[in-house]
Amino acid sequence: MSQYAPATAPGPLGLTIRALVGLYIGVLVALPLAALLQKGVAGGLLGIWEAVTSPIAADAFVRTLWTAGLTAAINAVLGTATAWVLVRYRFPGRTFVSALVDLPFAIPTLVAGVMLVVLFGPQEPLGRRLGESGFPVAFAEPGIVLALLFVTLPFVVRAVEPVLVELDPAEEEAAQTLGAGPWRIFRRVILPALRPAIAYGVVQSFARAVAEFGAIVVVSGNIPFQTLTAPVHIFSEVESGRPEVAAALSTALLGIALGLALVARGLRRLGGLHA
Amino acid sequence: MTRKSLFALSLATTVAVFGSAGCGGAAGESNQGTGARVRTLTLGGYTTPREVYGREIIPAFQKYWKEKTGEEVRFEESYQGSGAQARAIIGGFEADVAALSLEPDIQKLVEAGLITHDWKAKPYGGMVSRSIVVIAVRPGNPKGIRDWDDLRRPDVQVLTPNPRSSGGAMWNIAAIYGAVTRGHAGRGASPETVLAEILRNVPIMDKGARESILNFESGVGDAAITYENEVLVARQAGQQIDYVIPRSTILIENPVAVVDVYADKHGNRDLAEAFVAFLSTPEVQRMYARYGLRSVDEQVARETQDIYPPVTDLFTVRDLGDWPKVTATLFEPGALFDQVTTSLAKGR
Repeated sequence: MSQYAPATAPGPLGLTIRALVGLYIGVLVALPLAALLQKGVAGGLLGIWEAVTSPIAADAFVRTLWTAGLTAAINAVLGTATAWVLVRYRFPGRTFVSALVDLPFAIPTLVAGVMLVVLFGPQEPLGRRLGESGFPVAFAEPGIVLALLFVTLPFVVRAVEPVLVELDPAEEEAAQTLGAGPWRIFRRVILPALRPAIAYGVVQSFARAVAEFGAIVVVSGNIPFQTLTAPVHIFSEVESGRPEVAAALSTALLGIALGLALVARGLRRLGGLHA
Repeated sequence: MTRKSLFALSLATTVAVFGSAGCGGAAGESNQGTGARVRTLTLGGYTTPREVYGREIIPAFQKYWKEKTGEEVRFEESYQGSGAQARAIIGGFEADVAALSLEPDIQKLVEAGLITHDWKAKPYGGMVSRSIVVIAVRPGNPKGIRDWDDLRRPDVQVLTPNPRSSGGAMWNIAAIYGAVTRGHAGRGASPETVLAEILRNVPIMDKGARESILNFESGVGDAAITYENEVLVARQAGQQIDYVIPRSTILIENPVAVVDVYADKHGNRDLAEAFVAFLSTPEVQRMYARYGLRSVDEQVARETQDIYPPVTDLFTVRDLGDWPKVTATLFEPGALFDQVTTSLAKGR
């Protein structure tokens, strides 16, 4: 009988599936999070505050937030453009470019950092020239943003791509018949349809960038007050035998990421109402 | 938690699971060819001596033990950064023997209740090898670097790892601090001033000693504060690196200890203790010396004097008041290293 019931109907099968998924997410995500929170708030909220406001940590947090923010913003524009080109144009090597977009997910981020140092290190031709002209990349803040862009490249592209593919050409044609120019069509017809996908990709990029460790630890130089980021600082605290401080800092980082994700969700809903 | 430590944790767990499974299977297992009993000893080491253990010491011990008892010994080896290895062992990686880079890491195992015997009550105080902190320079020493004070010059770029993430880098800072407080460096300046002037010249603070020397090898910096053994191993591998031994520097001593709880659990006490004792024999001491490490054995040290020249003023952590005091003075939050990095940021 149950095999004829709609998939969402209550019943033993539905219950089992829901229980299984609940257990899966619980064990996979909620349990480790709870363990971290428990350790993080062990020293009280004051402990977290003290850990985050120590000069080195505060500086590292600010750096992590602005580099991640800049990364997300660049992704919003260039990621959408990349998806646009991949969907709307046919050109030789398109599948190759499309495959390249996914590559950052397949490469250990530490290796991404190593690649950037090989390219932009002060002893390499390109890196030396950039350094001499006053714009050092490796072991400086631009290197951090570059590494973050590399590891977050696929998010916006892959979020926007399917929406673009599914977009009904009739709407664009209608706008065109009504005399709208290409830019106006993009802004008034296409962009509103893409907005949720872009927002989703941006939030993902941001969250991923805030947490990035492997690429940054290689490429940034890790100098306190100059190039040290929050995840690398947290790693240092683990290594120097202060796991409780590391947990407090991680809890703060988690809180920030969660808060911003909620803000982004709110903005999206607001945008949805206006559209 | 960072992804890195999560990774280390899962790795440690995996190793532990497989390690203990291996031990369980090996107990009483016999070699089909010879009928001899095969036993498994698990070694948790730090990364530097990996080659000397793998290529020389372990094969020599296997031969020695076979001749002595007729038993074959199989080794399960794991190497990672000293601090990470200590955490892995505490986290359940059941190493019978721990070979770490510095005393405080062994002390963590003592505090965790895993080492219950007085591990320092051994010849050479539980230490099996030594090294010193030196300054690696470019071939031919183009910047004319001779001692710590040269690293204060504004025209010299210096590499040293971050002492907050690298236990090994603590030696570097302690070496400079000791040389200044003992009056062999600084030209009258305070340790704070000397450290600030040197750290101002540091463009990269890598997370570990290995990454730091690799960056130096790839061409970054004029000098790198590192250990004599790192330079000697790099030179053995064909790298063009020179080094200078400062007039005053710190003696690094690497401890080895039987991890009582795990050795007893695996029924390996006799084997583990024999292995640790074996490490102090002149034969093994010469092996360490072939891989860049100074010997704790005076006779061997004399034999290898050409490679490991004596230092004018060689001091130990004990001369600075032992690890807890050094950590409190230099590395705790708000201590000297923090003060110096904060003052550097304000001065910018």
